[in-house]
Amino acid sequence: MKDYVRFFDKFTFALLLLLVLAGIFLIYSAGHSTQETNHLKQAAWLGVSLLAFFVVFSLKLDSIFRKSFAVYIVLLVILALQLVVGGTVARTKSWFRLWGIGFQFSEFVKVPLALYLARLLTQFEMIDGKVFMKLLAVILVPVILIVLQPDMGVSFILCSFIPMVILLKKVRPAVLAVSLLLVVLGGFAGWHSVLKPYQKDRIVSFLNPSEYKASTGYHVIQSRIAIGSGGLNGKGYLQGSQSRYQFLPARHTDFIVSVIGEEFGFVFISALFFVFFLIFYRQFHFNFQNDEEFYFVYLFNGLIVFQFLVNVLMAIGFFPVLGVSLPFVSYGGSSLLSFFIGEAIIFRVKINNYLA
Amino acid sequence: MYLSKRKLTPDFVKKAAVVSTVFLVVVFAAIFAAFWSIQVVQNEKYRQLAIRNITRTVELRAPRGMIVDRSGAVIAENKINFTLFLVRENMEDPEKTVTRASFFSGKPVDEVRDIIAKFKKYASFYRIPIKSNLPLGTVIFIQSRQDEFPEFEIDMEPSRTYPQAEVAAHVLGQISEVSEVELDAGPPGAYSLGDFIGRSGIEKQYETFLKGTKGSQTVIKNSVEKIQEISGRVNPEIGDTVVLTLDLGLQKYIEELLVGESGAVGVMDLKTGGILAMVSRPAFDPEIFAREMEHEEWLAISSDPGKPLQDKFLQGIYSPGSVFKIVMALAGLQEKVITPSTAVSCSGSQMFYDRVFHCWNLGGHGTMSLFSALENSCNIFFYNLGRKMDIDTISRYARLLGLGSVSGIDLPNEKAGLVPSSAWKMETYRQRWFPGETISVAIGHGSLNVTPAQLLKMIATVALRGRMPLPHVLQRIEKQGRTVREFAPEFVRVPIAEENFELVIEGLFRVVNGAGTGRAARVEGLDICGKTGTGQIIAKDNPRYKLLTRDKKFMPNSWFVSFAPRNNPRLAVVVLVENGGDAGAIAAPLAGQIYRKYFENEGLR
Repeated sequence: MKDYVRFFDKFTFALLLLLVLAGIFLIYSAGHSTQETNHLKQAAWLGVSLLAFFVVFSLKLDSIFRKSFAVYIVLLVILALQLVVGGTVARTKSWFRLWGIGFQFSEFVKVPLALYLARLLTQFEMIDGKVFMKLLAVILVPVILIVLQPDMGVSFILCSFIPMVILLKKVRPAVLAVSLLLVVLGGFAGWHSVLKPYQKDRIVSFLNPSEYKASTGYHVIQSRIAIGSGGLNGKGYLQGSQSRYQFLPARHTDFIVSVIGEEFGFVFISALFFVFFLIFYRQFHFNFQNDEEFYFVYLFNGLIVFQFLVNVLMAIGFFPVLGVSLPFVSYGGSSLLSFFIGEAIIFRVKINNYLA
Repeated sequence: MYLSKRKLTPDFVKKAAVVSTVFLVVVFAAIFAAFWSIQVVQNEKYRQLAIRNITRTVELRAPRGMIVDRSGAVIAENKINFTLFLVRENMEDPEKTVTRASFFSGKPVDEVRDIIAKFKKYASFYRIPIKSNLPLGTVIFIQSRQDEFPEFEIDMEPSRTYPQAEVAAHVLGQISEVSEVELDAGPPGAYSLGDFIGRSGIEKQYETFLKGTKGSQTVIKNSVEKIQEISGRVNPEIGDTVVLTLDLGLQKYIEELLVGESGAVGVMDLKTGGILAMVSRPAFDPEIFAREMEHEEWLAISSDPGKPLQDKFLQGIYSPGSVFKIVMALAGLQEKVITPSTAVSCSGSQMFYDRVFHCWNLGGHGTMSLFSALENSCNIFFYNLGRKMDIDTISRYARLLGLGSVSGIDLPNEKAGLVPSSAWKMETYRQRWFPGETISVAIGHGSLNVTPAQLLKMIATVALRGRMPLPHVLQRIEKQGRTVREFAPEFVRVPIAEENFELVIEGLFRVVNGAGTGRAARVEGLDICGKTGTGQIIAKDNPRYKLLTRDKKFMPNSWFVSFAPRNNPRLAVVVLVENGGDAGAIAAPLAGQIYRKYFENEGLR
């Protein structure tokens, strides 16, 4: 027990807490003008998440990996059930109300899916056609269920597992070729069904933003204005006009980077990004007792990095607006809980490595 | 069993760590660079965009300054009216907006489109004035459904009103909307589309004082155009009050005297040169220019044969007729061509340069001296005087007495008239001056042309024995009760001997108080001096003269120029009745009534 305290990665844990606390502070700023109490809810979620963190941290890793398939299946059933009898928040069925608390179950798919994929990856030497189809099915079934809810953000983030499994394993060249072809085809389809109207909007709304207030292009412009107008030192806490006067959409969730950029400026946001960098760096660099752990750490960390990038690039208009939040910082209890559960496993892997 | 799961080589794990590190470093470097570019390099651009997002500054129009008469009676002020504005950035469907604007304003759709198009250079949040003087019903209708019509705003704005309607219309002048061409030509920022500017009269002359200072209001609006707070307000400042020398009571009285007539009257306070009354008939209601004029109104006013828009006092050009004999007499005396004892025999006509010239009294006046010639307005006496002087001498004296150039009154668009000279003729017609023409000029005809304002200045100079006043209508300008400009009376000495003025004044006294042509102007107890004049429209030797003058429009213009009292003069009055016919019968009695009214009010007989 003493060793557990001693070898626990307190530094990384402190960084994580720092991000969440900064997030609560920012959520308060983002909701200040509309007198929302999201920051209090987020603080409560932090409590729940910490509790879950230590519960999961105390569990045996082996049993976690062994139960991952069962949890994965249970989640698929819940997601499927939600489609039939789901609650409706913001016209999507991704929310589930339990004891008066809204849960976004799609978020809870991230950890079990990563665990199950890690387990699967240990069971073969190389990804051939058959294995690839299996992996694809494991990833795409929840993705499709989540798309149907619809929650574009989480499903898009989950798709990042596809390139990651390819990178982590030896791949038969034919599979690589086919998957590359699929990416090209998917990209082409996406260009015409998703990207084109968005880009069109963006161009038109740049010319006359006030007439296109509802479009995503307008949101991206307002987000860039918020970030750009923040300058080096920002406008000050609660002083961002873009945030205060509701020019920013989803300020406490997807566009929280814009609030940070506007109110605190380049220096602060760089520091914040550096915290992310440190966390990512430290969570990738240690030895592993077995392959499952390695795959899980890379898959889950990779997912967080991917989600971070998508969110940040979206805020400055370099990526389509898909509804992806900033890990640990954005408002969202289910997301926070899910990330802390995943982190608990990484921390456990890390400490097992020290104690071995 | 736990360890058996380990198949990965340490090399692979190491490679993964290196690749992931390189990936993180590259990606984070790119993100830092992107944020540096947006937040630091392009900061100013985005800062401006953020400010533009939330602030909306609208101009608040200033009320024009008041115009009041010498005793403070209001002639021009402002009223508050409801104006309908259109804000383009709040439009949802431009076509629907145009239809609505047309419905609310009662203007055709095309006109509304034109108005909106005019403002295309202005920011999309600029408030385009669509219609002023909106009926209350429409105001209530729009305001109670503001949510349905977010693109429309109704605000109270000051608009010009003239409570006395037509009274002193030509002195006040007109205001109208500033045009795009003027805006482009003028200094930037002074005016905006929709502003009014003085076009004539006092409104133009003292525009800089009257226009006031615009205010502005900056509001902070959120993304759905809900006003969050008013971040700055500069109240508009009303223009300065212009106090005129006019006596509104006298002005109204004279305007009523001239109802149905076409003509002009000027009354000057000889102590200061200030104009007490300045009438031009027919007149117009200046308010129709300050609001949106109906087409019918414009047609009616612009096609009126009486030319109501012309200020006949300053811009009407007439032949002075016998009034010019005053100038001739002064010139003759000063040049020592005549003396009070110079006698001329009038037999009703006389031959000059092989042509017969007539006196108006075809039976002849008998022996005429300077005094009796003025009293009876004998042409023959002045023909002879004219023959003894050359045109350039006459011209010089006419100019000395203020003819041939603007009177210098503080009102715009004054006409100069014409005093002929040999040089003028050579320049204009490339012909030398014929002595015969001098004979016509001697009785105020020929190419001689004057305005009533010039004759008022001339007779005032005579009254003051050679001290020529500068006529003016401005008394002072007040800013918040404090005088910021005051008119100081100006007099210029005319180089004509005072005794010569006394001699002419004796003649002018006899015109009214003897058996003269102006005796209809006589007021018991008041020494009025004056001179009648009949300005021919067509030459008297026209064979059809008698026939033509039955038609009113060919009847001669009727003049009476005068001042009173004879000693220590206080008032000068010029009356012109267009096509009035016999001056003694028409213009002179009007002048008499004006004196009676003025001195009755003053209580000083």
